[in-house]
Amino acid sequence: MNILTIPMRNIRRKPSKTLLLLLVFSLGVMSIVALYEVSQVVGHSLEKKLTAFGANIIISPVSEKLSVSYGGLHMGDMLFDVHDLPEEETVAAIRSIALNDRLSAVAPNLVTMTRVNDTAVALVGVRWKDERGIKSYWAPKGTFPEKPDEVLVGSKAATKLQLKAGDRLSLLGRDFTVSGTLYDTGSDDDTVIFMNLSSLQELQGKPGATSFIEVAALCAGCPIEDIVAQLQEKLPGVEVKALQHVINQRMASIHFVQNLALTISVVILVTAAAMVGLSMMSAVSERKKDIGILRSLGYGKPQVFIIFCLEAGLIGMLSGVVGYLGGFGASFQVLEFLHMAEGGTPIFSSTHLLMAAGLFSLVTVLAAVYPAWKGAGVEPSAALVAL
Amino acid sequence: MLSAQNISKNFITDNKVVPVLKNVSVDIHDGEFVSIVGRSGSGKTTLLNVLSTLVRPDGGELHYGTENLSALSEKRLNRLRQSDFSVIFQFHHLLPYLTVLENTLLPFMQSVRPVKKAAMEKALGCLERVGLADKADRLPGNLSGGEQQRVAIARALVKSSKVLFADEPTGSLDKGTGEKIMGLLSELNNDGLAVVMVTHDPVYAKMAGRSVHIEDGVIV
Ligand SMILES: Nc1ncnc2c1ncn2[C@@H]1O[C@H](COP(=O)(O)OP(=O)(O)OP(=O)(O)O)[C@@H](O)[C@H]1O
Ligand SMILES: [Mg+2]
Repeated sequence: MNILTIPMRNIRRKPSKTLLLLLVFSLGVMSIVALYEVSQVVGHSLEKKLTAFGANIIISPVSEKLSVSYGGLHMGDMLFDVHDLPEEETVAAIRSIALNDRLSAVAPNLVTMTRVNDTAVALVGVRWKDERGIKSYWAPKGTFPEKPDEVLVGSKAATKLQLKAGDRLSLLGRDFTVSGTLYDTGSDDDTVIFMNLSSLQELQGKPGATSFIEVAALCAGCPIEDIVAQLQEKLPGVEVKALQHVINQRMASIHFVQNLALTISVVILVTAAAMVGLSMMSAVSERKKDIGILRSLGYGKPQVFIIFCLEAGLIGMLSGVVGYLGGFGASFQVLEFLHMAEGGTPIFSSTHLLMAAGLFSLVTVLAAVYPAWKGAGVEPSAALVAL
Repeated sequence: MLSAQNISKNFITDNKVVPVLKNVSVDIHDGEFVSIVGRSGSGKTTLLNVLSTLVRPDGGELHYGTENLSALSEKRLNRLRQSDFSVIFQFHHLLPYLTVLENTLLPFMQSVRPVKKAAMEKALGCLERVGLADKADRLPGNLSGGEQQRVAIARALVKSSKVLFADEPTGSLDKGTGEKIMGLLSELNNDGLAVVMVTHDPVYAKMAGRSVHIEDGVIV
């Protein structure tokens, strides 16, 4: 028996009113928790999906570019000191960073120019599995290459060279078969021919060489700058560049999802808190005489204030626990409903449960501050008013 | 022990200042039984409430022992209400959601510190004394008016109050129950508790050692 007994007993006195309040607030908490859990999973899987639309970090050798013109004649840009990157070492270095788990794909490329029937065309050597991990939007007429002597031709290159799946052509003195041509991608991929990286390295006489490496990083959990810095540390003397516009676009979509969830949560929370505040307000005016009795028994204003805050806080705490458990459970249903269950599952955490209980009791206490302050102002003579 | 000097109290009704107490002076001595009598509307309740600190007077001074209550801090006043002064209201004295025992112990439930076992035993003893030991776990809702009043008296006993203020304690009770309450009050008064009681009943007024007559806010 202590000061807590008073609010606890009062909560039990009107079970239907308490239950209703508890239900409303629990539902509020539940929606917030479910929204949070779902937005985490959705944001994560959204980012994974977006990552499929290209790399956001490019790793390339340092080079010096010079624009040359002489005698009024523009002679184009010249690159000096172009070195290739050693494939195996560089990929291993990339994979060894602390934030390795944030890297969803690492795709080495070797680029060279050649002529097919007197038409200049770029040849890009790729590791099919890694490249397709980054470019899942690729769709071939025909099939993706499986054998080392098969190539994939970009749409514009195919038109220009009049190539289609099944055709044979000679590249750098070796015969290749076109396994498929790409549908338009609207990117540089349309103008080039892709082949197996090992084959190109062999033909070029540069075993294990790459021109640049594309990296697709997930940056919802950590800033891209950290990943770039870690890569730079592992790869001194190599240029590591974040494609900011790609990242910004991606993060904007993810932040949109998360901000939407946050905004809705705040609205729900404010509404639920207002309900608690209103109910406390009516409780205070309903119980003026009770307050008068307490005051006539020597309860000070702070004690009366605390009793009402405790009452609200108890409701908040209970709702926090019930709502968290309910919301956690509901998030599975929602993900299932959104067909995103395989996008990841919410992870139960007792810390989050405690945080929810703490946070929502705080919110209800805050909502009760004004009514409780009103209650504390009731004079002991209020108890004297006849029924 | 409790001394009121030149107390005045005005109420404002219809934008008019109505003087209810006009320079009233009363002394209550240790262990005294005083009844306040007078016509309806004469200011009895107002005087009792000023004496019990529930209503602040507009003028005059109130002393308890050596302390000037009119100048006392809110905190000290609360302590007085918690220990020395007890009030029995005519209708409403119990929190409906607390048991009889909890209502009796209410003065000791002001902090997170649990009520001491000794206090709990004392409360049961006091309930025994007012004849309610077997109803300690009941809620006030299913007690009669007289029983509720006895719980308030038991609460005054647990506090070891020095003065008990009662505003027409028998007003809403039938004759038999009223007599029982009066018997209890004089018994406690014999044990040293000072009682200040407002009553309409001349018989009960005579049970008090002294009667204070009030008419139109003036003691006669
Ligand atoms: N809170 C108040 N506001 C305005 N007027 C009041 C207030 N309380 C009392 N009065 C007025 O003061 C006068 C005295 O009231 P009080 O309650 O002290 O009388 P009383 O002697 O106890 O009467 P009763 O025997 O009917 O209980 C009455 O005219 C009453 O209308
Ligand atoms: Mg009266």
